[in-house]
Amino acid sequence: MVRTGARHGQDAGPAAEALRLAGVGKTYGSAENAVTALDGVTLGLARGTFTAVMGPSGSGKSTLLRCAAGLERPDSGVVRVDGTELTGGTETELTKFRRGRVGFVFQEYNLLETLTVAQNTVLPLKLAGRRVDRRRTREVLASVGLGDRLGHRPGQLSGGQRQRVAIARVLVAEPRVIFADEPTGALDTRSARQVLGLLQDAVRSQGRTVVMVTHDPVAASYADAVVFLADGRLAGRMDAPTPDAVAERLAHLGDDAAVGV
Amino acid sequence: MFVLALRSVRHRPGRFLATLLSAFLGAAVVMTFAAMHDTAAGAGVDPVSAETLGTSASVVGGYGTLLVFFAVASALTVAVRQRAAELELLRCSGATPGQLRRMVVGEAVAVALAGALLAIGPALLGGRVLLTVFQDSGQVAGDVEYVFGALALSSGVGSTLLAAAGAAFLALRRVNRTGARRARARRLPAYAALAAGAASTCSTFGFSATAEALMAPPAYGAILLSVGCALLAPGLLTKLLGRLPLDGASVWLAVRNLRQRAGQLAGVLMSLTLFTAVATATLTVQAVESDAVAASGRVKSVDAKNLETLNLTVVGIIAVFVCVMLVNSLYAATTYRSREFGQQRLAGATPGQVLGTVGAEAVLLTVTGVFFGTLAALAGVVPFTVVRADGVLPGQFLGTWAAVASVGAAVTLGTSLATARHVLRTPAVGAVARPA
Repeated sequence: MVRTGARHGQDAGPAAEALRLAGVGKTYGSAENAVTALDGVTLGLARGTFTAVMGPSGSGKSTLLRCAAGLERPDSGVVRVDGTELTGGTETELTKFRRGRVGFVFQEYNLLETLTVAQNTVLPLKLAGRRVDRRRTREVLASVGLGDRLGHRPGQLSGGQRQRVAIARVLVAEPRVIFADEPTGALDTRSARQVLGLLQDAVRSQGRTVVMVTHDPVAASYADAVVFLADGRLAGRMDAPTPDAVAERLAHLGDDAAVGV
Repeated sequence: MFVLALRSVRHRPGRFLATLLSAFLGAAVVMTFAAMHDTAAGAGVDPVSAETLGTSASVVGGYGTLLVFFAVASALTVAVRQRAAELELLRCSGATPGQLRRMVVGEAVAVALAGALLAIGPALLGGRVLLTVFQDSGQVAGDVEYVFGALALSSGVGSTLLAAAGAAFLALRRVNRTGARRARARRLPAYAALAAGAASTCSTFGFSATAEALMAPPAYGAILLSVGCALLAPGLLTKLLGRLPLDGASVWLAVRNLRQRAGQLAGVLMSLTLFTAVATATLTVQAVESDAVAASGRVKSVDAKNLETLNLTVVGIIAVFVCVMLVNSLYAATTYRSREFGQQRLAGATPGQVLGTVGAEAVLLTVTGVFFGTLAALAGVVPFTVVRADGVLPGQFLGTWAAVASVGAAVTLGTSLATARHVLRTPAVGAVARPA
């Protein structure tokens, strides 16, 4: 499972594996109407890789992302981000764990309406009590094509621009792993291509690790590898994906699961 | 569109709870005092009793109605603004502005009607208790029959419905406007309220020191001035916040939130300013009045004590009403921010930092609201004291003000933080996903 693909080593982190899930399980609800969202998922992702997670609705993609990102506690199993095990149950402990380790890009952008583009970008640094480097912030915003929008509010931007602000916000905080949940789900194809290109660039030229949940084979084809999920279990993996191959594989996901890849 | 309005009320009763509560309490207060008019008009009531009842009903009932109007209006403003997204959706689905207006105003009227009808029972009892208090204190003859009649019903239901319809109409217009036009739309009524308030407090000087209705102009004035101040305060607050050298992530976020949301804060600020102004002004004025009555020796000391208790009860009802409205509007405004809090948490804020931000906002709000409320209260108290007691600032002012300000601060901070804590129980991911 471990890919040897850490192209760039400028990160000082010790772990070669950016993300490791071992036997992760998660069940929602209680007793009779319990729904198993994740059923013992084991997965390792090397640093500097771009992985897409795909599967039909209800396959547990989003739960996998939330558990791996420390947004939710798994019921069983171990999650390690950058070699450090996710521990602690309170939200404060989880938040502190995530800081500096993980960053998020959501389908709904989740920018704060009351803050400008520049302020949104530095918010995670402010909250973590880290030093804010204005020059670096401007550089990052310029690199996502928003150098002239620093003072705008999210409400004045298009969906694609908002998503690029969200990406800049992640990049400025320099996390070990970037999690993206359907980042292009609400975007037109041109904006989607820009966003995917930026995520790809974060991996290729900055050595970040990206994990992206998507249902779009085209979006998945930007990744180095696709991991398929069905009924809360891993259902196969594809390296160097193409949109056609991914779509073909998705259509026959039930067969794969039965074979037990 | 009215059918749609009724349906949307029926399927989301929770959303209208704040409006319902304010309409209910408002109607109850108005009806309780208006019932004194009905009682005074009853057969065989002696002139002295009738005059006491009439004065209480028209002075306290009068500014009480004005207060109810603004309270219901501020609750509705918060409620309508929270539906901006839904209204936009309806607009996109082909609803004309007229249809939207009929829907929003229709909903407001339906909720206010329900509130007012629910209030009839409690007001019936409240009026009886109030009359008993009057009779026990010897102000009204013991054989006066309690009447809860047409005037109580019509003024209670009427003023509540009028407030609801008017406020919904204005709130909708405000939602439809953007930026500069909105600010301008607020400035005009603000100046009008300030002018009317100033005129009202100044008219105090036109009364003789012993006029029965002397207490009315300062109270009306304080209410109108605080409404005017509350409408202008967000703009001033925005300018002031730009100059505050504040640090720390929570405070940094709080200041930016307030600067951006200042316009939306008018509703909460109005409740806080009204509370500070009305409670301070009426309680102080009452204390001055009681002292003056006692000093004049027109009534025996036991009666003076009774009279003081009675008047403080009457004024206390109003103060408690405004305090409940303050809690109501703060609760509604904070619950609405679930999604925003979720976004802060996903950006790396701990629950403690979110609470810190809410706390910092509440402190800044309290300072602003109490400041303007104090100005409005002074504008009411000083003319009254000059006319009634030949002083400028009564000795009772400072103590009353300190008590009212601490209650206001405690309520603002307590409600904001408790509500935010409750809101934070929803996991961040869920809070963000749920449509606001």
